[in-house]
Amino acid sequence: MSTEAIPAEKPKRNYNALFGLTLLALLVLLWILLSFSTSSFATANNISNLLRQGSMIAILAVGQTFVIITGGIDLSVGAVVGFATVTTAMLINSGLPVFVAILITLLIGVAIGLFHGFGIVKMGLPPFIITLATLTSLRGIGLLMTNGNSISINNDAFQEFSRGSFVGVPNLFWMVILVGVPAYIFLHHTRWGRYLFSVGSNAEAARLSGVNVQRTIYMAYTLSGLCAAFVGVLLASRIGIGNPTQAEGWELQAIASSVIGGTSLFGAVGSVHGPLLGAFILATINNGANLLNVNAFWQRVITGVLIIVIVYFDGLRRRGSK
Amino acid sequence: MTSATLHQHPAPELEPGKVILELRSLEKKYPGTHALKPVNLAFRSGEIHAIVGENGAGKSTLIKLLTGVMPRTSGDVIWEGDPVALATPHEAMGLGINAVHQEVVLCRHLTVAANMFLGEENVRYGLLQQRAMVRDAQKIINDLGFNLPAHAMLGDLTIGQQQLIAAARATVRGTKFLIFDEPTAYLTRKEADQLFALIRRLKAEGVTIIYISHRMEEVFELADRVSVLRDGTYVGTRNIKETDEAELVRLMINRTIEQIYHKDAFPIGKTILEARQLSGKGFENVSMTVHEGEIVGLYGLIGAGRSEFVTTLYGRHAKSSGTVLWDGKEVHIRSEHDAIKLGMALAPESRRDQGLCLNLPVGLNLNLPIYKSISKGLLISGSEETKHAEQQIAGLRIKTAGRHALASSLSGGNQQKIVIGKWLNHGAKLFIFDEPTVGVDVGTKAEIYRLFSTLLSQGAGIILISSYLPEVYELADTLHVFRRGKLVATHGFHTASHEDILTQALAEKQEKPGGQP
Repeated sequence: MSTEAIPAEKPKRNYNALFGLTLLALLVLLWILLSFSTSSFATANNISNLLRQGSMIAILAVGQTFVIITGGIDLSVGAVVGFATVTTAMLINSGLPVFVAILITLLIGVAIGLFHGFGIVKMGLPPFIITLATLTSLRGIGLLMTNGNSISINNDAFQEFSRGSFVGVPNLFWMVILVGVPAYIFLHHTRWGRYLFSVGSNAEAARLSGVNVQRTIYMAYTLSGLCAAFVGVLLASRIGIGNPTQAEGWELQAIASSVIGGTSLFGAVGSVHGPLLGAFILATINNGANLLNVNAFWQRVITGVLIIVIVYFDGLRRRGSK
Repeated sequence: MTSATLHQHPAPELEPGKVILELRSLEKKYPGTHALKPVNLAFRSGEIHAIVGENGAGKSTLIKLLTGVMPRTSGDVIWEGDPVALATPHEAMGLGINAVHQEVVLCRHLTVAANMFLGEENVRYGLLQQRAMVRDAQKIINDLGFNLPAHAMLGDLTIGQQQLIAAARATVRGTKFLIFDEPTAYLTRKEADQLFALIRRLKAEGVTIIYISHRMEEVFELADRVSVLRDGTYVGTRNIKETDEAELVRLMINRTIEQIYHKDAFPIGKTILEARQLSGKGFENVSMTVHEGEIVGLYGLIGAGRSEFVTTLYGRHAKSSGTVLWDGKEVHIRSEHDAIKLGMALAPESRRDQGLCLNLPVGLNLNLPIYKSISKGLLISGSEETKHAEQQIAGLRIKTAGRHALASSLSGGNQQKIVIGKWLNHGAKLFIFDEPTVGVDVGTKAEIYRLFSTLLSQGAGIILISSYLPEVYELADTLHVFRRGKLVATHGFHTASHEDILTQALAEKQEKPGGQP
């Protein structure tokens, strides 16, 4: 055999980045269309509002994506957000310094994530089941703690935070950057990120290659729980109350954002920028529909259709480029 | 490409069987690869036509075109005198073209009978006639002499038995043209014999058999004619009686059959690992040592306990008793992680299930065991990552579009190189290769064996598991024979005959009918 001619054609190396650009183009297109079709879209006020709306789902979607990459799912994040608003409110009202209250709430998020890891790794429960169980029971625990009432937070500075902005950009959006940049580095430039992918692709092969699969699963759910608790703090700041029934259905929005952002529910495919863009695309559609006076009920239908369309075309492209 | 295309030999005439399928300038191009260059070839009814070639030679592509899984780029396919499109698997099956694949593609959670009639169920008044189907399936199985229960869950059978069912299934569907792709890769000798009987019977009924295998002795045992592909090019067809292994190998790899089993003698050094009376799930009381510069061969049938023994050594399963010494000191290996830290490396038996993250890039697969050592602080060093991946791709001559290509896009032999290659940067001391050459062509085999020598020269030790006797026979310095979970015999290099070793591995009544592995 002569020297093997290794096919020299360029592989689609930055597939993720490319898909990210397509999504970005879609987002920009939506913004341009809305700017022309409504007078109120392209106002500083509305844009800030849109960024605030999208931010919290975006952060949830990042945590969710870590889990989905391992081939799992975290249905509990909406409930964790609601529960975290309650703990934040109670802790702040009890007179603790705000940062201590936040820290404790974040630790609760971590604990919930560890519990999920325990259920999956040690008890052998499917991720869907263990996180579904947390979803319902956490709402229940929150209602028990509050007797079904909302808790008003009596700390104005805390609430100011979510309304404020820094160099013209809403604080809530800064929080997306605060989460997104380390998340990006974690997923794409550390070995733990690689391990997430390898576990999602073939856990047995990963294990035989020396990857600690159990620890990797713990890590994914812990990060998701942490992100959800963090969003709970932000939501508490935004609405000024603790209420366990808040953030109803956010887990589904987070999953939708992640999937629109190119994450594969079969695992091993995903990024950080994709879900972020996905979250803001969803936020833009809701925002635009409001401005265009589209019946709010239609917004849900549109979101559903969009999920099908985007994921379908993504799948087509993937198959085509094989 | 070389001028190999010019050397096409006209297919020799032998049997009077009429041409059932003819390929005219059939061609397939993928973006960036010319997978199959125009091939002209005619298959006759009632012949067993072997197709041989290295991995990536275009055999799989040819099968995909014939079974309608992939559309062709150009050329014509003539079926019984008429041009056909072969655009979908459905169309191919409608014509009577079926395939039995190397990996069983049936439903493990359905019964044997349900699998046999999948898609063609016996239905009356909208209801499945389950009992009738089991009865019919059992009759077919008995006719073929397989002695398997039709009501059993497919997943409860051994891989070999499942393979037989897959073959039996193809026979009940009015098949005129049946393709076997490496069907014996996971079969025991007895199962293989049953399969060969089935194949001969189909031939007698006038079915055309395409038989793809890396095992030359099977080709010579079964085939009437053999066609050779090399690098996507059709090289020629021979009557089996007018050719020999040496010629075929030369056509396949375009070089004479030098030593495939390349073995250099290295001085046997210190003991690396010693297992003392180790027992665990699937094996008991196994003792052995591995030294520096030594290949220890484990021979036996599939299910004899060899894989279980090494995966236990490797910490995947817990041992039930016995001790393991590493470098003379007793060690407790509780996880793969412990084993890897000591300096063990395992290239497991099944590439797909245990060896590779198929939908991840080649580079990530190659670097998976060493990410810790190529990270600086928290971050992975991009340059180190690239360097190590490119080093293995070049060093092992892995045929890939690049380190960003997905592992699934590679051919079987090249995937196997990744499974092995990922350990070469790791600096392991003991390499365990479990069936490293299953489904791998001659050229890649020779490369893998040469790699063994390189590892030995660096002072490593190797445990080589194989169900293919010539392989362990020609390579192992020490050869242990396993039978039903026990180490039954130990030989030095060439100190026993093939026959003796086979007898020790087989023993009488080695298989329970329809039994568990």
